[in-house]
Amino acid sequence: MIERLRSNGIVVVFGVLFLGLAVASPPFFSFANAANILDQSSILLIFAATTTVCIIVGVFDLSIASVATASAILTVTAVNLLGPVLGVVAGVGFGALLGMITGLAITATGVNSFIGTLAASFTYRGLGLILASGGLVSIADQPTAETLQQITEGTYLGLKGVIWIALAVVIVIEILLAFTIFGRMVYAVGGNRRAAFLGGIRTKRVLVACYTLSGLGAGLAGVLYVSQYGSGATNAYSDTFAFTAIAATVVGGVSIFGGSGAVWRGSLGILTFALIGNGLNLLGVDTTYQLTILGLMIFLAVAADQFFRRSERM
Amino acid sequence: MSALEPVVSARKIVKSFGATRAVRGVSLDITPGAIVGLIGENGAGKSTLARVIAGVYPPDDGVVEIAGQIRHLHDPHDGLRAGVSLMAQEISLVPAATVEENVLLGSLPRRGPFLDRKAMRRRYRELAELTQFDLDPATPAARLRTADQQKVEIMRALSRDALLVVMDEPAAALTADEVEHLHHSIREMSRRGTAVLLISHFLEEVLELTSHVAVMRDGELVREGPTVDETVDSLVAAMVGRALATDYDERKEQATGPVRLQVRGLASTDVLRDVSFEVRQGEILGLAGLIGAGRSEIARCIFGADERSAGEVTVDGNAANASHPAEAIARGIFMVPESRREQGLIPAASITDNLTLSTLRKYSRGGWMDRRAMRASAARLAEEVDLRFDAVSQPVATLSGGNQQKVLFARARDVEPKVLIVDEPTRGVDIAAKRAIHARLTELAEQGVAVLFISSEIEEVLGVCSRVLVIHRGRVHGEFRAPYRQEDVIAALFGQSVSSR
Repeated sequence: MIERLRSNGIVVVFGVLFLGLAVASPPFFSFANAANILDQSSILLIFAATTTVCIIVGVFDLSIASVATASAILTVTAVNLLGPVLGVVAGVGFGALLGMITGLAITATGVNSFIGTLAASFTYRGLGLILASGGLVSIADQPTAETLQQITEGTYLGLKGVIWIALAVVIVIEILLAFTIFGRMVYAVGGNRRAAFLGGIRTKRVLVACYTLSGLGAGLAGVLYVSQYGSGATNAYSDTFAFTAIAATVVGGVSIFGGSGAVWRGSLGILTFALIGNGLNLLGVDTTYQLTILGLMIFLAVAADQFFRRSERM
Repeated sequence: MSALEPVVSARKIVKSFGATRAVRGVSLDITPGAIVGLIGENGAGKSTLARVIAGVYPPDDGVVEIAGQIRHLHDPHDGLRAGVSLMAQEISLVPAATVEENVLLGSLPRRGPFLDRKAMRRRYRELAELTQFDLDPATPAARLRTADQQKVEIMRALSRDALLVVMDEPAAALTADEVEHLHHSIREMSRRGTAVLLISHFLEEVLELTSHVAVMRDGELVREGPTVDETVDSLVAAMVGRALATDYDERKEQATGPVRLQVRGLASTDVLRDVSFEVRQGEILGLAGLIGAGRSEIARCIFGADERSAGEVTVDGNAANASHPAEAIARGIFMVPESRREQGLIPAASITDNLTLSTLRKYSRGGWMDRRAMRASAARLAEEVDLRFDAVSQPVATLSGGNQQKVLFARARDVEPKVLIVDEPTRGVDIAAKRAIHARLTELAEQGVAVLFISSEIEEVLGVCSRVLVIHRGRVHGEFRAPYRQEDVIAALFGQSVSSR
C-alpha cells in the first residue's frame, strides 16, 4: 500500500492537477493548449530522460546545460563549414564526446559525481565561450537555416517536430533501460556498485556509457536550439535546465539513492511542472508564486521518498 | 536464580513488527553481576528482546523493571539514564572523531564549556587498563580495522558505569586473542557488579563465560537456568526444538582428481607474499587464519577484485590471471563475497535480477534481454537451492539472511564455475541454514567444482574441509589434512611453527 503510494504519487498528482485545471479553466482543456505545453517542455523532456539514466546508475550530471550550450555553438560552426547534415552529426557527437570525457575523468579519479560534473559544467561553458569567441554565432546560409528550422518548428500530425523528437528520445531511452542488457547493468550498478563489480559487471564502463548518453542528449538539445533559432549563443541553456531535470526526475518518483526508476517518471515530472505553470497562468495566479510552489513540491517529493525508504528498512 | 534481587527484570514482554510477532510474552530476571547468555537461531527474537530491555523499542505489552522500578524507556538515551547500555551489532562510531572521543561520546569530561582533554585521557586510560585493549587514543575511528572499531564500542559500553550492559554478538568480528580480551573485560565488569546480557552464536563462548543462559525460539523463552547444567548438545536441542547431531561428517577422503585451480607465487603490494597452492577437482580446500592474515585478500586477488603484484593463476592448466571479476568469471572462477549485503546483493532488485547478475550475457539476444528465459532460470535456480520466497519479482531485501545467502549460491550455480571461492558464507546465518550451505558446497564439489572455503570459525573449516591451509601474515604458514589435531591448527593460526602432517 505504502509502496504503491510512493511509486504512483506522481500519477495521482498529475491526474488531479489535470482534472482540476480542465474543470476550472475551459481554455486549458484544448488540443492547442496541450500542444503548447508539450512544446514548452520538449527540451526538458530530453534532459529529464538522460538525467533519469544518470540517477538510476547512481550519479548526477550537472553539466548537461553547459554541454548543450557548447554543442549549440559548435553546431553552428560545423554547419557553416561542413553543411547541415555533417553539422548536425558533429553537434550531437560533440555532446557525446564531452559526456564521455566527463565520465572518464570522474571514474578514473573517483571524484564525487556531483562536484565532478559541477566542475565540468564550468569548463564546458567556458569552452562554449571560447568557441563562440565570446558572442553569438549564426548560420550564415539563410536557406540552410530555414531547412533546419522546418525540422523542429514545422508541424507534423498536429504537433511540432521538436515534440516528436523529444517523445522519440523518451521512448528510446525507456526501451534501452527496460529491455536491454545494458539497462539491466545500469540498474545493477545503481543498486549496489560494489556488488555489481564483484558480480562481474564492468561498472566503470557502464558509468562512462551513462555520462556519454547524458552528453549525447545534451548535444541533441544543442542542435535543436540551433534548429529553432538559427544561431548558437553562450546563454543558450542556463544551468536551471539541469536542476529542473533533476528535480522533475525526483518529483516523478525516481529515487535519488539509485537503482530504481523509469524514464516516464521524469517525463511526468516535467509535465507536472509545466501544468503548474500553465494552469496558474490560465487561472490568473500571479506568476511570482510559481517558483515557490515548485520548490515546495520538490522538497515534499524528496522528503516522501526518504520517509518511505526508512519505513521499508524497519 | 540466586537470592539476589534482580537488577533488571523483563516482565511478559511482547513486541511485534507489522504481522511478525518477534517477542511473545518473555520474562527474564538478571541479577547484579550476572553474565546471562541469550541464544537462539536467527529470527528467534533475541536482538528484539535485548533492544526492548535497552529502550531501543518500546514494548507493545509488558514492562521493564530496572533496580526495582518500572521504567518506560522510549529510546536508547532513556535506557542509558536508567542504567542499561547497549552495544549494538552494527558499529556506530563517529568516523572523524578519535578513539577516546568515541569511547567517551555523550559523557565527555568538561571544564566549563570546554572539553577537558586531560580528564578525557585519564578516563580513557582507566578503560584501556580494564579491557587490556591496546588502541592509540588519538587515532580517528575511521582508520581502525573493523575489529578495533568493535573494541571502541566495547569500551564505550563500559564507560557508562551501567547496571547492565547488553552485548549483541560482540565477538563476531574479533580474532581469537581479541575475544580473550573481550571475555576478560566481561568478567571484570561482572566482578564489579555490572550485569551483562550477551547474545552470541558461539555456544562454547556462552558455556565458558556465562553464569546463566536463556534460550529463545520463535519469540518465546524456551529454557532458562544456570549455565553449569548445560552442554552444547542441550543448548542446540533447545534452540532447534529437536536433538541434532552436532558433529560434522567424519568421513574425509583426500581428493585425487586432477588439479583445477593452481596458484603460484601470488603476491599483493600490501599483504600477500608468495602464496602457492592447488585445489583439485571435487576438493573443498579450507583457508584458515586470523582476521587480517590475508585469507580474503587471496580470494580477491584470484578473483581479480584486488590488484596482484606477482603470481600466476591457472584453471585446468590454462592461464586465468584476472584483473577484473568479469575476466575471472569468463575463465571459470566465481566468488561468493564475504559480506552479502554490502558486496553480494542488490537489495532493492528482484530475486531474478540478483540471480542473473553474473550471467547477463547468457540472457542477451543481440543486446536485448530475454526476460522470459531469465525468469525461468530464476525459478529453477531458486528451487535448486531451496529458496523460501513468494515470487521471483520480490526484492531480495525482503528475504532472511540465510535465504539471501542462498540467492548468492544460486547465482554461482547459474555461472557454472570450475572454481568456486566462498568467503565466510555462514556468518550470521542460523544452524539450519549453515548446514544447508555445507551440504550445497559438498554437492558442488561432488559435481567436480574446486571449492576454496574461507571461514573464521575453525571448527567449521576443519569440519567441512579434508585439507586446510593456515594463512599467517600473508603467507601459507601450514598445511593440514584430516583427521586433524585441532591444537596444531590453532597453534599455526597464531604463527607457531608446526610440522605439517
